[in-house]
Amino acid sequence: MERNLTHIALFAALIAVLGLVPKIDLAGGVPITAQSLGIMLCGTVLGARRGALAVLLFLALVAAGLPLLSGGRGGFGVFAGPSVGFLVGFPVAAFVTGWVMQRTTLSPGLSAWAASTIGGIGVLYVFGIVGIALMTGVSIQEASLGAALSFLPGDVVKTVIAGLVTQSLSRMRPASLLSRA
Amino acid sequence: MSDRFSGIEIQSASVRLGGRLVLDGLNLTLSEARIGILGRNGSGKSTLLRLLAGLIAPDAGRVLVDGANPFTDRKAALSALGILFQNPDHQILFPTVEEELAFGLTQQGIGRGEAASRVAALLAEEGRLHWAKAAVSTLSQGQRHYLCLLSVLLMQPRTILLDEPLAGLDLPTQARLSRRFAALPQRLVTITHDPAVLADADRVLWLDAGRIVADGSPDAVLPTFTAEMARIGAQDADADLAG
Amino acid sequence: MLTLTSPVEIWAHRVPAGGKLVALAVATTGLFALSSPGPLALALIATLCLYLTAGLRFARDGLRQLYPLWPFLLVVGLWHLWTRDLDSGLVVLQRMVTAVALANFVTMTTRLADMIAVFQRLAQPFERLGLSPRRVALAFALVIRFIPVMLDRLAQIDASWRARSPRRPRWRVMVPATLAALDDADRVAEALRARGGAG
Repeated sequence: MERNLTHIALFAALIAVLGLVPKIDLAGGVPITAQSLGIMLCGTVLGARRGALAVLLFLALVAAGLPLLSGGRGGFGVFAGPSVGFLVGFPVAAFVTGWVMQRTTLSPGLSAWAASTIGGIGVLYVFGIVGIALMTGVSIQEASLGAALSFLPGDVVKTVIAGLVTQSLSRMRPASLLSRA
Repeated sequence: MSDRFSGIEIQSASVRLGGRLVLDGLNLTLSEARIGILGRNGSGKSTLLRLLAGLIAPDAGRVLVDGANPFTDRKAALSALGILFQNPDHQILFPTVEEELAFGLTQQGIGRGEAASRVAALLAEEGRLHWAKAAVSTLSQGQRHYLCLLSVLLMQPRTILLDEPLAGLDLPTQARLSRRFAALPQRLVTITHDPAVLADADRVLWLDAGRIVADGSPDAVLPTFTAEMARIGAQDADADLAG
Repeated sequence: MLTLTSPVEIWAHRVPAGGKLVALAVATTGLFALSSPGPLALALIATLCLYLTAGLRFARDGLRQLYPLWPFLLVVGLWHLWTRDLDSGLVVLQRMVTAVALANFVTMTTRLADMIAVFQRLAQPFERLGLSPRRVALAFALVIRFIPVMLDRLAQIDASWRARSPRRPRWRVMVPATLAALDDADRVAEALRARGGAG
């Protein structure tokens, strides 16, 4: 069906765009890169299957040589580097986020926040930390500590924002949440 | 306060976008009540609007709105200028009418309670108090345009910039909005490609390729503009690429 | 949309993309099989020579592509200094730089169209699930087409925020941005259907 294809493509474009704009002041005065927020929204808005496909499409474009990863990075090099775990984890995170979103019966905002935390932090960090440990020889504990200190605060904020945005979307246009269709 | 010039001054302002000279050394003083900026698509109208609004800074020269630089002094700019953009769906940020209306007020530093009562007062004045808790998604296109206009009016700016205000609207909605605009006490600067919209302006400026090519009353400028548009339209090709 | 393919044309541009990817996979596996600094140093030098076959300008570009790695290199270096495990530190650093440099070499010498063709071929086993070559190409094209459109729209939403607030935009701007993505998806689906469907 064409709608599936276009939803997947347009959200892949959204993830790309969130990496291309400068850090948005998304909350308080703290600038954060919004790209992983896009991954969470793929799950909370599109649901598990389409969300994961959107992220996979995005990664395929990055692999094909487009500098769409935040910081203008791209190409196969990023998959050979230390953050490969996170990259591999992105589509899984979107899938899990969507899966949780589709299954919970809480309000859209709360579900989205819970789903983003489980998928966008829980699952993603497992992949990311294992990736760092494998690629850099740093121990799992050290990698976890490093990831927790550098990424966790920003990502916690992003899960809250994912919840707020999803809640707002469901109020502005209830039919827009394909994960709850 | 009363001896400070109230209006918009542009002094030798130029704007370059992506290497291209979009606005070329403009010198203008705008103080009339109803001003129109007329031009084809691609003439630099939107860039000029953004320049006046302080959303972009000039690469050369300067812009003053009521004596202040709108790019650097955002607070002053917000009380001097309001902007009504073309597409309501790109402007509306909130799910319900009252939240959307209250936004500008709370951003100006007004407390939530005070903002809420001002919103209610305005809606009541407009006979639309029942809109307050309505979801924006339930409003028609014309109603959404109206909502955007009300959001701007609530901030009580001295000048309102209108970007193609009637584009894409059906005739009754066009008539209603035009009437509403005509009745507004604020100074209005209307940016458009349609001369019919500017028939009642006090002053019309014709912008072409980043320069003012005509500046005067509607009677002086509009017929020449319409004739030129017809001449261009009679030619077949529009094959030149901008790049 | 600018890609990371190098404008400096070299011999490697003519090698088929699929072949380069297989070679990359083999080389990277080989790199991870090595575990001592000596052989890895040779691999690194060999990679450097590979870049130099393309000329200085290409090699300099390649070096620039490696720049984003520096924080990791620093952290890993310091960590291994701290644990007094210099040998494995060296192994990790050499391996990382070589693997990334080889991967970048493939990216710099492969055109986007060729990469899309590879993805189409990789999608073949999944054709039953709806991943036809036409759909793959279409998906890529749509994303590339809509990135500038969305950037424009974000700029507009940003302008409409700044028209009413002196502060920098907050999370709220994501709402109209996401709605716009959904609307565009609907409209493009219609346009596709009107022109024969996504096949």
